[in-house]
Amino acid sequence: MTEKTPPPVIELTNLKKRFGIGDAAHYALDGVDLTVKKGEFIAIMGPSGCGKTTLLNILGLLDGQVEGSYKLNGQPLESLSRRKQSHIRSEQIGFVFQSFNLIPRLTVLENVALPLLYKGDLKIKRLKKASKMLKTFHLGEREFYMPHQLSGGQVQRVAIARALVNEPSIILADEPTGNLDSNASHIIMEELSELHKKGNTIIMVTHNPYLTTYASRVITMLDGKIDTDTFHLPSTPAPYSEKIPLNKTESEGA
Amino acid sequence: MLFLNHIENAIQSIRSNRLRSILTAIGVTIGIASITAILSLGVGARSIISKQVDELGGTIAVVRPGVPQNTITQNINHLSGSQYAASTLTKQDISSLKKIEHVTEAAPLMILQGAVRGDTTPSSNANIIATSPSLEKINQLKLLDGQFLDPDLIETTAVVGHQLAVDLFGTEQVIGKSVSVRGQSFTIIGVLQPTHAPINFNTVDLDSSVFIGFESGILQNQGTAHIQQINLQVDSVNNLESVVVAANKTLLKNHLNQADFSVMYGDSIAQPNSQLFGIITGVSVAIAAISLIVGGVGIMNIMLVSVAERTREIGIRKAMGATNSTILMQFITESLILSTIGGIVGYGLGYLLAFGVSLLLTFDPAFSWQVAIAALLVSVVTGTLFGAYPAIKAARKDPITALRLYN
Ligand SMILES: Nc1ncnc2c1ncn2[C@@H]1O[C@H](COP(=O)(O)OP(=O)(O)OP(=O)(O)O)[C@@H](O)[C@H]1O
Ligand SMILES: [Mg+2]
Repeated sequence: MTEKTPPPVIELTNLKKRFGIGDAAHYALDGVDLTVKKGEFIAIMGPSGCGKTTLLNILGLLDGQVEGSYKLNGQPLESLSRRKQSHIRSEQIGFVFQSFNLIPRLTVLENVALPLLYKGDLKIKRLKKASKMLKTFHLGEREFYMPHQLSGGQVQRVAIARALVNEPSIILADEPTGNLDSNASHIIMEELSELHKKGNTIIMVTHNPYLTTYASRVITMLDGKIDTDTFHLPSTPAPYSEKIPLNKTESEGA
Repeated sequence: MLFLNHIENAIQSIRSNRLRSILTAIGVTIGIASITAILSLGVGARSIISKQVDELGGTIAVVRPGVPQNTITQNINHLSGSQYAASTLTKQDISSLKKIEHVTEAAPLMILQGAVRGDTTPSSNANIIATSPSLEKINQLKLLDGQFLDPDLIETTAVVGHQLAVDLFGTEQVIGKSVSVRGQSFTIIGVLQPTHAPINFNTVDLDSSVFIGFESGILQNQGTAHIQQINLQVDSVNNLESVVVAANKTLLKNHLNQADFSVMYGDSIAQPNSQLFGIITGVSVAIAAISLIVGGVGIMNIMLVSVAERTREIGIRKAMGATNSTILMQFITESLILSTIGGIVGYGLGYLLAFGVSLLLTFDPAFSWQVAIAALLVSVVTGTLFGAYPAIKAARKDPITALRLYN
């Protein structure tokens, strides 16, 4: 009885991304080979400008103009129509951007409910789910705030709540802990950890080496290429694991 | 479902830019208001004549010389007074028509041009109508003073319209005074009440006309009858059509099978006029449409600004799974709502305007669902048309570029 193994979630072979043409041409990704299996929690590190955001955008089907091959759940990128790609984004992928995540003229609740709109949920259901998701991030009282009324950490948490609200199987997070202090960062990492345990695939960019301990695999990039690729057992840094349950108030700093 | 959200979203966006949205919608409001005002007045004007015929009991048929006129230019020629062309209608025709069963009255209208003088001042724009006494009954003419033409009285008596009396003598008390028609003196025996209907199926303004006997008219016209129109009265509406058939038959016989005349009733009496009004209305609407284009360009402009401002939003929405067509619909809906709100307000204002203008005119603007539908349709089309380009631009935005902005 040989069980047929499902294809890897992500399979990149010699992926290249070029910006500009002619003399101005520049490879932001210069031959990336990467296989991601379901349920991995990958932390990507690397110096600024090495192509981390570019890679994440391509993985999230936001950028289709690439060289090399990208298979998502075994399906080659070229075989997916634009509509189909939108569909996959809506159903399977959750995004957290590096910055400016929220739509400024929508309330926090409406921002979080947005992915459900394109999934086709009814309004009541959308708002209910979004509200529930916000509560798990201790943002229940901020539902009707506008994004500009939130602190930086709150914005990032709202963005993560939004990325998770449609229960995506793949979460792409570009520096979700951005410029948060370590305490606020660990709250967010705990959430991602939780999702990882539930079987979600997470790919996260971070500059903070301490946060990579949450991941099951750490990749470092350099000049558009993968430099190192290490698997390890994820662990939670002790000081924080005890701190989090007590942390009911929103304490994050600049 | 998604559409509901587009509407909600559009309203929210319009609200958050309240002043800007109002200013944009005003462009469409002005365009639709002018179109509504012109159309409703135009339709009102076109129905004047049909209304007059209806008020006379709907029992009027009219015989005019010449083949039935169908083209617009012919009709305009007719309206601008083909009085000088020879008429194909004869005195013989009048008496034949009178003999048709169910015809109660028949009155010829022979319209002459020439100087009409009172005591001193000549009146420049008076019409001389040579007709028979039965015109009073057919047209239900109301007299202010005196009486209408009478076969028992001498030939040199005349009846004047109210406006003409005032023009010639400065008063409506003109009974017994003498009026000079093309050099011949007539004694005034009656003054008509004002009709305030410069446009009517007799094609002349009765208020500024002088009525003389038909025979006097023939004498004035070198002994030939030149009949512009014969008004027929039928005993009942039910017999109108059979009379028209019989009249056609009789006249064909008189005219040796030459159909050089036309018998009209109902709306067709008003046709030459309504076609003319149609042209005037059409031209005015076309001019008003220019202001609508300006309004549309305003919408396009503001939508382009809106798309540019919300580039980041478009990127986020696309990353959340919005398809190009969803984004397209989101922005089209927004411009559609802007133009529709502008259109609805414009429709209301247009009617107010039409009512205001109609106080100075002799007819009311027509309330018709066609105008309402037209106003709504035009605003929807404007919103879609001018919103299309910005919306396409929004839909085509590359999510990466959109997301990089402000990054
Ligand atoms: N649209 C673009 N046009 C031209 N060059 C681009 C474009 N987008 C990215 N690049 C280039 O690609 C390279 C990689 O950019 P990317 O945003 O992926 O870096 P990053 O690793 O995310 O950096 P950071 O850690 O600072 O966010 C950079 O050198 C950048 O200048
Ligand atoms: Mg980056």
